[in-house]
Amino acid sequence: MPQLDTSTWLVTIIAMILMLFILIQLKFHKYSYPLSPAPKTFKSTSFPTPWETKWTKIYSPLLLPQQ
Amino acid sequence: MNENLFSSFITPTMMGLPIVILIIMFPTLLFPTPTRLINNRLVSAQQWLAQLILKQMMMMHSPKGRTWALMLISLIMFIGSTNLLGLLPHSFTPTTQLSMNLGMAIPLWAGAVITGFRYKTKASLAHFLPQGTPVPLIPMLVIIETISLFIQPMALAVRLTANITAGHLLMHLIGSAALALISISPTTALITFIILILLTILEFAVALIQAYVFTLLVSLYLHDNT
Repeated sequence: MPQLDTSTWLVTIIAMILMLFILIQLKFHKYSYPLSPAPKTFKSTSFPTPWETKWTKIYSPLLLPQQ
Repeated sequence: MNENLFSSFITPTMMGLPIVILIIMFPTLLFPTPTRLINNRLVSAQQWLAQLILKQMMMMHSPKGRTWALMLISLIMFIGSTNLLGLLPHSFTPTTQLSMNLGMAIPLWAGAVITGFRYKTKASLAHFLPQGTPVPLIPMLVIIETISLFIQPMALAVRLTANITAGHLLMHLIGSAALALISISPTTALITFIILILLTILEFAVALIQAYVFTLLVSLYLHDNT
């Protein structure tokens, strides 16, 4: 039975180890399964300063002193 | 007759160069690497298949066992694709070689068992004695369980080799019988040809099933030990 001829065993085993443990795993570890894109809730990390929380009329551009 | 029948299982070398290396590495070409966010049909289909298999297989494992996910998916894809490619006429099937199957089975089984011994020593040793055995039977049962543990990698390798080799041999024999019968009695040749077609369908199933069984058993050994 040719499978029992051990002269070729080393080559076969080394090729298989190379293939299975390196090449094919390199192919499969690139597979990515991203979640479906959905809008992220936007939370501001910077807080508005107290004088910016209220819009006051004096900041309207037409009411600034004319140059 | 003997020489001719087994000649497709000789490791292929061309003028002294071992081209078996190229044959074993050929299935890599059939799995393109995904480079985009949305890939082409072939890559998407393979990714879908890989996800289906992974979800099914890794569901029963603990987080520690799930670190083997890449290894197991590579194993099942490698064996499945190699077996299916071997069904093409005149091709060489690497999984018919006992050397390759032993090289796959022994390290994977040993890895699972050594992981079990390292992290859960008591539980691993407890596998040697099933619960509720009568006291006089204990020594014999420990011996039997040890033997059944050590036979696991051998059984894995020989099961895969024998199944694929037997299938290929049967196809050879029935094919050459059908060819020889054409000149003698065409009806019998037709019946033999139909048997050959049914056998080929069986071989497709066997190719996939053997890959599945191999991977499932490795995964089972892993589950016992994590």
